[in-house]
Amino acid sequence: MCLGTPYCRRVEGNYAEALDLLPGIVSRLHAAGKRAYVTTPAAPRQADLPHVARLVDAAAAAGADALEIHNLGVLRIVREKGGPVPAHMGAYANVYTHLAAAVMRDAGAVRVRPNAEVSLEEMAILAREAGVEVEVLVHGKIPLGVTDRCFLLTEPEESDPKCPSACREVHWLTSRRWVLKTVGKGVLSGRDMCLLEHLPRLVADGFRVFRVEGLYETAAYRSEIGAAYREALTRAFAGGSFALEDRWADVARRHAPRGLCNGYCFGTAGRTYVGSVLQDANPEV
Amino acid sequence: MAELLASGGSMEMVREAFDNGADAVYVGATGWSRRRSEYEMDDDAIVEAARYARSAGRILRVAFNTLPASSEVPLFFARTDALYAAGVRDFILTDPGLMMALKNRHPDTILHASVGCTIINIQDALFYKEAGASQVVAECRMGKATMRRIKAEAGVGLEVLVHATTCYTLLGRCTMSSYTKYGHRVDASGKDHFPGSPNRGGLCYRICLTDWDRVDAAGELEASGVVLPNRAYFLADDIPYLIDHGVDTIKIQGREYSVPLVGRMVRFYRDLIDACVRDRAGFRMDPWRERMARIVADRDAERREKTADLISESLDR
Repeated sequence: MCLGTPYCRRVEGNYAEALDLLPGIVSRLHAAGKRAYVTTPAAPRQADLPHVARLVDAAAAAGADALEIHNLGVLRIVREKGGPVPAHMGAYANVYTHLAAAVMRDAGAVRVRPNAEVSLEEMAILAREAGVEVEVLVHGKIPLGVTDRCFLLTEPEESDPKCPSACREVHWLTSRRWVLKTVGKGVLSGRDMCLLEHLPRLVADGFRVFRVEGLYETAAYRSEIGAAYREALTRAFAGGSFALEDRWADVARRHAPRGLCNGYCFGTAGRTYVGSVLQDANPEV
Repeated sequence: MAELLASGGSMEMVREAFDNGADAVYVGATGWSRRRSEYEMDDDAIVEAARYARSAGRILRVAFNTLPASSEVPLFFARTDALYAAGVRDFILTDPGLMMALKNRHPDTILHASVGCTIINIQDALFYKEAGASQVVAECRMGKATMRRIKAEAGVGLEVLVHATTCYTLLGRCTMSSYTKYGHRVDASGKDHFPGSPNRGGLCYRICLTDWDRVDAAGELEASGVVLPNRAYFLADDIPYLIDHGVDTIKIQGREYSVPLVGRMVRFYRDLIDACVRDRAGFRMDPWRERMARIVADRDAERREKTADLISESLDR
């Protein structure tokens, strides 16, 4: 489980901000046999760096298994501290090539999540050549952009009464044929990335780290989508024939009011769906 | 003194920029910069532009600032090797892996970390310095205090965009355009092309500049006509400050503007910088404002037209 949000420090319940809560939640996850990662801000300004340094120390002291890092300056801070926690490069770190991943590896990264635009074919080359784990987003909203001003507020953050409640609610941006989701300082895909029917290929390609993105989603979303993928991945790893269960497909559809897509995995526009089972949710394909 | 760096989207624009006083001009290698090919240059044109720059005692900088596919890396070296052999030494890159590899291959190259690197703090600047960059482009909204610290502590050159675009998101950290319209093809040389992705050498369709509504979970309208800011700015007022604080390069973006407009912009900044340096104590901005306003009006008109075309194109099937 990845704790915290990369978008905003003011989100209520953000573990990356409430440092005193980290030891307790990390312990609980470890007791449950889970790993605990802590995300760092995606776009830390100079003034944010002292907090980032404290966050790195707190995550290390709490026994976190890794830090998710989106900013190369933050990776450097972790390296300067002697790498007290392994680094995972996040979606905004702009990993496109195996050469970039190797530079990050040499700076302490053990895992990378390539930019959303990187296809599965490219990810396979990257994994093979760079000597790092590659994390594949298999389900959830695709991060499309990050900013450092909240666009859900009409007043400055410090004075707007809607902060931090505004980003707990669901907000879509709609125009023409396009739907995006905004979380204030982040722009996410409107459709949900879904690779359920493609899992056997991912396993065959050698990928071993799969992410279900549930940030800014409900508890039901996280538990039901997570359970479907746990079962589907177990089936995919078992080998043999693999057919999409109706109950997995139902869960995916139910939690994706704006439809499903599979991002850039197959070299197409991020909102298209390539497949044979779930594409009925995307009549434009 | 700060270098004035201008855009060269064609040989004609390169000449216009140099002739109007640019100290350096950047051009994009076809398929390898953050614009589509009509604003980029092939190797023969780049070599010709570099020759023109040398004859005028100026610098030509070549942008290979896409974030490419791993499979394109050999093509990157083939292309940069050829330009290196022709005497080109100045490059603008984004991918830290390519940066380090090119520096190892040709240690006398001068590498600048592109605006696509989104360098927003001093540690970022240091990371790219370690990757081989001798100069970094400040993120468009970087505050002056951070600029001062980078200049004082990082030991790396600093480039500031005085004429550019501030996107809704952080430039270099946005894939909104490719999410809506994207394509992928491999040409005969093995080069990948990704129309719709500025990060990958395609085009930003500026979909953020369309009219958006914000709706809630139930589809109820919360706000209509939401504006996602993506503004072209013109920071003439900051130039005295940038000069005073030792900023190394003052940069004007705009390969997509018309050649005469680029020429006027370069001439305006050249004259302003020279006037400021000539008499720093007596320098006042006011006399410059009317000339600046006319250029801004013409720039905005060209940009509006371009934006409408791009949004329209993004809706094409």
